[in-house]
Amino acid sequence: MRRSLDGDQRAYAALLQDTARLLRPFLARRLSFENEVDDLLQEILLSIHKARHTYDGNRPYKPWVYAIAKFRLQDFLRAHYADQLRHAVNFDEIEETLPDNVTETAFSYESIHEEVQKLPVKQATILKLMHAEGYTAKEVAEKMEMNESAVKVAAHRAYKILRKILER
Amino acid sequence: MIDDLIDTLIKEGGAVKPAPHPFKLSLQWIAGATLYLTISLLVFGVRPGLSAQFHRIGFDAEIAALITLIISTSLSAALLVFPDLHQIRRLAYTPLAAFALLIAALFVAWQQDNPPAPLPVHSFECTLGIALFSLLPAIWTFFVMKKYASTHYHLAGSVALLFAFSVGALWLRLHENTDSVAHVIEWHYLPMLGIGLLGLWLGQRLLRW
Repeated sequence: MRRSLDGDQRAYAALLQDTARLLRPFLARRLSFENEVDDLLQEILLSIHKARHTYDGNRPYKPWVYAIAKFRLQDFLRAHYADQLRHAVNFDEIEETLPDNVTETAFSYESIHEEVQKLPVKQATILKLMHAEGYTAKEVAEKMEMNESAVKVAAHRAYKILRKILER
Repeated sequence: MIDDLIDTLIKEGGAVKPAPHPFKLSLQWIAGATLYLTISLLVFGVRPGLSAQFHRIGFDAEIAALITLIISTSLSAALLVFPDLHQIRRLAYTPLAAFALLIAALFVAWQQDNPPAPLPVHSFECTLGIALFSLLPAIWTFFVMKKYASTHYHLAGSVALLFAFSVGALWLRLHENTDSVAHVIEWHYLPMLGIGLLGLWLGQRLLRW
């Protein structure tokens, strides 16, 4: 660095290249995208160039470089998160376009009754008992002399078939 | 991309004169402030019976604390203009000790102010006077600091403004004929808190690079 401050271009080039190699992993650990690392690395090299008169060569170089790198990284992250906040969706604005009740299913058992009847008899009966008559899986198992797990598996398979039919 | 940038920077970069050591920078500010104080006291005059005041421990302690504050804030400001605080980070926080000393000195003066000295007829004029007196040192300090590369620009701005305000406070203490400690605390020193906050904002506006 001392030689570069004296105007030695070769020493300065070597110093900047070494600094870039030193800082790249430091930035890569803190940023998600390669293009962000490149952008910030350029910014830091420019800052080092602008602030090079604040380094006299009589104290360790790395703490000086890392102080600038951390400063620019903080600036970058501050701007990045401020930008994310600016583009964040305001729920008050989209409230009116949302459905009234998002937790309610879009259709009832009655509305897909015909599709249920097309299922194998055992599956159709299970769905009818569980969704039209309100039995639990355990009660259905007792009623149909099956074990509870078998009822749940049959119901699950029935849901998959119904989903495919309704998605068409 | 990085290689292209490095090529450009090499072409731009010639020999550069390194910044002075922060101790030297600090000394320059202190010398400038001393000269400014001396000229101002010669022009505006010192308070009547100043030499007699120096026989009071409370007054001596207050002036000593103010001088310590001037030295420590100038040193801190000089360190804070370097990205790495010249790797003597601890010295940048010496103004905290100086403030503690000032509080202790004011406590001693408060104890000695018995019966309390009469309050002067003026009030905010003192704060205004200190602020106006501090303008020149503040402008000079910020002008010099802007040439460097502070990575703690909020703190640097605050400390720089406190340095200038301390110079103003010392001038008024040597010029104004007041013995009321309550008045001095209220209108000379408490406004320093506001000045410190203003400095945080000014630092961001003026020292960002």
